[in-house]
Amino acid sequence: MICLEYLLHILILIGIYVILSTSLNLVAGYAGLLSIAHAAFYGVGAYVAALLALKLNSPFLLNLTCAVILSGLLGALVGIPSLRIHDDYFAIATFAFQIITFSVMNNWVSFTGGPMGLPGIPQPTIFGWGISSHIEFLILIALLCAVILWISHKIVRSPFGRVLKAIREDEVFAQAMGKNVANYKVMIFVIGAGMASVAGAVYAHYITFIDPTSFTVTESIFIISIVIIGGAGNIWGSVLAAAVLVVLPEALRFLGMPSAIAANMRQIIYGALLVICMLYRPQGFIGEYSFKK
Amino acid sequence: MINQLILNGIIAGSVYILVAVGFAVIYRTVRFFHFAHGVVFTAGAYFTYLFKAWLGWPVIAAIPVSIGLCAVLGVIIETFVYRPLRHKGSSSLILLLASLGIYIVVQNVISMIFGDDTKTIRSGIVKEGINMLGTRITPIQITIIIVSLLLLVSCILVLKYTKIGRSMRAVANDPELARVSGINSDGVVFWTFALGSALAGIAGILVALDVDMTPTMGMNVLMMGVAAVIIGGVESIPGVALGALLLGMAQHLGVWKISSQWQDAIAFVILLVFLLFRPQGFLGKRVKKVTI
Repeated sequence: MICLEYLLHILILIGIYVILSTSLNLVAGYAGLLSIAHAAFYGVGAYVAALLALKLNSPFLLNLTCAVILSGLLGALVGIPSLRIHDDYFAIATFAFQIITFSVMNNWVSFTGGPMGLPGIPQPTIFGWGISSHIEFLILIALLCAVILWISHKIVRSPFGRVLKAIREDEVFAQAMGKNVANYKVMIFVIGAGMASVAGAVYAHYITFIDPTSFTVTESIFIISIVIIGGAGNIWGSVLAAAVLVVLPEALRFLGMPSAIAANMRQIIYGALLVICMLYRPQGFIGEYSFKK
Repeated sequence: MINQLILNGIIAGSVYILVAVGFAVIYRTVRFFHFAHGVVFTAGAYFTYLFKAWLGWPVIAAIPVSIGLCAVLGVIIETFVYRPLRHKGSSSLILLLASLGIYIVVQNVISMIFGDDTKTIRSGIVKEGINMLGTRITPIQITIIIVSLLLLVSCILVLKYTKIGRSMRAVANDPELARVSGINSDGVVFWTFALGSALAGIAGILVALDVDMTPTMGMNVLMMGVAAVIIGGVESIPGVALGALLLGMAQHLGVWKISSQWQDAIAFVILLVFLLFRPQGFLGKRVKKVTI
């Protein structure tokens, strides 16, 4: 029974990272906007949902909607600089946003609970369906994953998605073709941020406790690693890499590695994979974009 | 009170100068954000701890060896990761991503070996600071200010007047043309990383002597360094130094009005404002041609 629950827990985590990496892939892999702020949007989603649930006792679907809207608005705020600054300078700007968001989560103690976090987030109820067991959460996250993958698939196959790729390959050319590059960039950033907040809202209700350490720069780099190792510009690459990178460190535990060292090993593995990928296969496992400019 | 805040700002600024100047020396030569610079900073502190606490060396002997090892670490990263990438003509984004990977790996290796708890290389009892104009400053803080000023000036002189310094500026200006003129650009980059990493190591050791060390100490200081470089303008080392001082001051004078935990947020809001409205920094020329 414990064993089964553990397995379900891993599957739920994979689901959360599938949502995070797919949404970042839309921004970084398709539009070519490398963002080191994805964990910030993930965190915003988690905090908005948790605060609404705790302070107003509002239902899950409302929390989710609010999280998506607020995170999307913040996404627009971060996306707008991409019109003025490019490539690695844009990455630095998103990095700054990531640090500021973490700082707010960590320091606005009266509102976010600061380093102590927010305990006791209630488990969700959707139209009378109380979600409490692992299997029910898995169904919820699988449904959300399916919706997000479906939307992403539609986006990248649509004319909208093709313009994004055009911007990624040659921004000036896309503009010369009469595309409103600014609009597209901000829009995909809003979509990516909104999707990341879905993962955050589910995470908050699932774990029932959140604190700022789940939404650090390191987490952002982890999400970037998933996108790049799986392959930027290919949604299924992100799905595959999310599964592999979540399961791989768990395998270390079965080799009898103490959990303190396993946590370090997990980060060493994805850091090293990121470097190896950049050296030998910058387009990732099945990706099509290799951050050439 | 206000004197003390200004002094604290100068001390913080001095640390940022060391990190930022090392970072800028590397950036202007190779043109990508070498994030692993932050972990070289951390490594400096932990090398010193290794020699002092584990091998029982006196601090005075441990420090120069640690600085040397930091230079070696920087050069290893350059030789085994960045150089192959540069030779393949990788974009600056790829190099940035690779450097993030290196940062994560080395930081976790450090935390695996030494543990996550705070380690100290300070010896003896904590001395009370010296009184100066109604402010308190400890001997190590005085050292930080002096060392950072000395290294800043020598860095500017090295870049301006020595052969290797001129080659660095040549490679920074136009790698192709430098190669055509018979400059071994890989060799120049090698020494650039050695110099920059040594500066990071010195900064790490000084900070550890002042406020101890943890494996994650590098990220924050690195980000301040990056911010200082962008605020000051990459092209000008004095500009970078001014940027670092400005950041240190803004953080500590900010404490006057808002509580101290917001120091990071203050620094990064300033960085964002500069990125948006003056990405070339206040002393820099254009850092990047705008493509539209």
